[in-house]
Amino acid sequence: MVTLQEAPSVTAPARRPRRKGDGRAAALYLAPAGILLAALLAYPIYQLVLISFYDYGQPQAAGNAPLVFLGFANYADLLSQAQFWTVLGKTVGFAAACVAGSLVVGTGLAVLASRVRSLPRMLLFLAALGAWSTPAIAGSYVWLFLFDTDFGLVNEVLSGIGLPFEHHSWTFGTLGAFGLVAAEVIWCSFPFVLVTMYAGIKGVPDEVLEAASLDGASVWRTTWTIVLPMVRPLLMIATVQSIIWDFKVFTQIYVMTNGGGVAGRNLVLNVYAYQQAFAGQEYGLGSAIGVVMTLLLLSVTGLYVRAQRRSAAWL
Amino acid sequence: MAVKRPGRLIAEVVTVVIAGIVAFPLYWMLLSAVKPAGEIQSASPKPWTLHPSFDSFSRVLTVSGFGRYFVNSLLVALVVVALSLLLSFLSAVALTRFRFRGRTVLLVMTLVAQMVPVEALTIPLFFLMRSLGGAVPALGLNELGSLVLVHLAFSLPFAIWMLRGFVAAVPVELEEAAKLDGASRMRFTWQILFPLVAPGLVAVSVLAFIHAWNDFLFAKTFIVSKTENQTLPQAILVFFKPEDTDWGAVMASSTLMTIPVLVFFVLVQRRLVSGMAGAVKG
Amino acid sequence: MRLLPFVAGLALLAGCAPTQSAPAGGGGDDKTGTVRVWLFDEANRAPKDAAVKEAITEFKAAHAGVEVDVQWVPVEGRADKFSGAFNDPANAPDVAEFGNTDVSSYAATGALADLTGDLAAWPEGKDLIPTVLDTAKSGGQTYGLPWYTGIRALYYRTDVFTELGLKPPSTLSELTDTARRIRAAKPDLYGISVGGKYTYAMLPFLWANGGELAQEQGGKWTSTVTGEQAKSGVTQYANLLKDDICPPAQCANLTGTQSVTAFAGGKAGMTIGGDFNRKAVEQGAVKGKYAVVPIPGTTAGSIAPAFAGGNLLGVFKASKHRSLALEFVELLGGAKYQEKMYTAMGNLPTLSSVQQKLAANEEFLKPFVDTLKAGTKFVPATPAWSKIDSQNVLPTAVQQIATGGKDPSAALADAAAAMDKAFG
Repeated sequence: MVTLQEAPSVTAPARRPRRKGDGRAAALYLAPAGILLAALLAYPIYQLVLISFYDYGQPQAAGNAPLVFLGFANYADLLSQAQFWTVLGKTVGFAAACVAGSLVVGTGLAVLASRVRSLPRMLLFLAALGAWSTPAIAGSYVWLFLFDTDFGLVNEVLSGIGLPFEHHSWTFGTLGAFGLVAAEVIWCSFPFVLVTMYAGIKGVPDEVLEAASLDGASVWRTTWTIVLPMVRPLLMIATVQSIIWDFKVFTQIYVMTNGGGVAGRNLVLNVYAYQQAFAGQEYGLGSAIGVVMTLLLLSVTGLYVRAQRRSAAWL
Repeated sequence: MAVKRPGRLIAEVVTVVIAGIVAFPLYWMLLSAVKPAGEIQSASPKPWTLHPSFDSFSRVLTVSGFGRYFVNSLLVALVVVALSLLLSFLSAVALTRFRFRGRTVLLVMTLVAQMVPVEALTIPLFFLMRSLGGAVPALGLNELGSLVLVHLAFSLPFAIWMLRGFVAAVPVELEEAAKLDGASRMRFTWQILFPLVAPGLVAVSVLAFIHAWNDFLFAKTFIVSKTENQTLPQAILVFFKPEDTDWGAVMASSTLMTIPVLVFFVLVQRRLVSGMAGAVKG
Repeated sequence: MRLLPFVAGLALLAGCAPTQSAPAGGGGDDKTGTVRVWLFDEANRAPKDAAVKEAITEFKAAHAGVEVDVQWVPVEGRADKFSGAFNDPANAPDVAEFGNTDVSSYAATGALADLTGDLAAWPEGKDLIPTVLDTAKSGGQTYGLPWYTGIRALYYRTDVFTELGLKPPSTLSELTDTARRIRAAKPDLYGISVGGKYTYAMLPFLWANGGELAQEQGGKWTSTVTGEQAKSGVTQYANLLKDDICPPAQCANLTGTQSVTAFAGGKAGMTIGGDFNRKAVEQGAVKGKYAVVPIPGTTAGSIAPAFAGGNLLGVFKASKHRSLALEFVELLGGAKYQEKMYTAMGNLPTLSSVQQKLAANEEFLKPFVDTLKAGTKFVPATPAWSKIDSQNVLPTAVQQIATGGKDPSAALADAAAAMDKAFG
């Protein structure tokens, strides 16, 4: 009898006996990637942490000014700025909305796609792939055009059908601007969730679904109580990836809110870091922000994963 | 799945409508690329144009070096894809099938590596590439090799993460059986395991391609004085002149940038779906 | 046991320091070889390219065994290119075009050659307009030859003014009134299209009212935007971003380019635009229906001090062809090619003789040249300025005042604090 609540788990390694020379073979297989990652990721990250403890700007990088060790001064400076905390709060809210949106839209469409024949499904997938392959900067400008205050199609259509949207500025209000950008981000990120979840849904064995429908469960109930729990590990991967990507959004906010909105009220962390640090070549402060962002993301995903731990031995 | 017919029809109509909505911004991008200059930013935009013109496209294609930049981007993306497949496969095999200490730590580190905001790493990477260029010229600054290296490094963590699940899904019994038949571990890995994880490889290649193709940050940081090695996104930048942005050309070049990715996607989309599924098994 | 990696990590950190480049070594003075030149790219590069090619031909004819290699740098992406040149002198060109607002931060990297003596010795150097030459200086030394300058003035719709019986404003308060009247009579138009992010349009208001951005004492800069005069100037500008002139919902976030685009598209009665915006306006819906006057000051007949924008040609210290580079700069920056650049690109020359000659023939240039003559000002010549600029300190203050988020004193106090922090 198929146990429905148990998601696929990693049991293979546990059953495998320890082989002699495993360590050595592993080292050989891992060497190419390992060396590359050590050199191009670990070392720069190490430098990043190092730079965050110094006063490091363009003159220092060019060798024209001496390095001044600041200890935690960059961090203290950053954490004492009220704006940092406001921006952080907004980033968390914005990212949460984007993640939730992508997951709901992606999963919902995946369920829909699994119920239709291949032609409509193909059309949906093609559209989604198109959205996914649009470079962030192109997507941002197109959306900006469509929602432009004076020249945008959306305003014209909405005011054409009688709604009061003549010359409505979508990017002026704080929430409005965040909403618009979130819509664009969801538009280009839901395809990833769609494809992942669709694959998961397709992977649910037919016998399980037939048994449920024989038992009289409606389509909706089947989805909610059987299919979704089975694809939970996939959902978790999609969520973690979305959290990481949406927290680091830069291009869409920068382009669509003209650099952070009116008086910087639409700033998210990555854009804030750019304006406060990188644009002015203050790499020390910028590195500190980078470290803080990484630690934040680590805690957020750590908490999420821990909460999901009991469902699948996914590690 | 037994679905009632009218229910399915409604679902299909909804699906097609949603597909249309999702595709609309793309349509708008293409439309703006063929609209004549006066119509792009007009007070009453229309979702069609009666005078399509390929003017914007010709402006883009005649930007000096456009063809060359396109080839550069393509070259970098394809090499990154090929190398990602190789390296991530090897690593995934090692991490899944071999028992050794520190396995979990490494896995977690690959996740952490994706969290670092990439802009913050440009200066250390710049200096690293400069030193590397001293030792191996083809991999240094101003060379496409440096872009290949850095994109490889940034796409490997996710690739390893994805392939791991796939490799773990291949039953251990298969390997045992192969060993009994006298096959060496090496042979098993390449002749049996590799083809079995094909869908996962496809997923990895698509993501690596997108990542390398759309990159703007590293290309503009590393390619400084040798403009012949610039990549496509940098070529588009010239249309963003501060006083006088050429929107038609921006849309045309964006369209040109999107097409190869879309083509790549369409070619692999069936395999992509099963690739995503397998990623989590195990 | 768990402490060990931590301690090891600390030891590693303590013993190491971030990578730095070796400082730009002295260059060389080869008389042959390839001179590398970086120039700003244009979307329509052909005219500039043609003028530059002419200069190159002339240059090569005068110097045997010399090639000139020009690289076109997109303005929006220049920061990384120049960073790359600063961080790795091997990447640096011999000659580069850059904006005068970048002078101080570039000079601080030690990568640019000091041209003070060279320009003093240059025969045409005496003809350089002094206020424009000042914008090329940092710490008393000159780091570039001013190639062209950009000045802003007031564009207005002649048809709208005739229809409403208005005349071009002669003071800033008249400007506000005129703008209000335009919008009251024609609600679809902005009275004047300006934006919260259009700092270079705000500065004339600040300066005309007698305010200053910052002052220097003994090498240390302090912000002075909280002064009464500065405050009234900024507030006067921010008051243009009100519903009765240019509603904040549409205008609070506009940049200079967007403001001019709105005017060119026929959506505004006036705008503040540069001589370099001429082509964009000519191509717009308002062709033939506009005229330009200098931005008025606070008293009738005065002209508000304009921001002296512009680009310079500089030489890199690491250049291996010092004299050749300098000669090429002097050739491109000389009267002959400044005039050609005007014809090709509409760039306002920096040599007063050339300016006068052109102004005599071109009606369009008159208000800009008059503004220049009346006196221009610049931003604080310190590397901290680019930080202040990228942090959007002034636009934020203007936007806070315009949207009512903060009152002028509070908004400017915040701005001053941010400026002082950047000044160090």
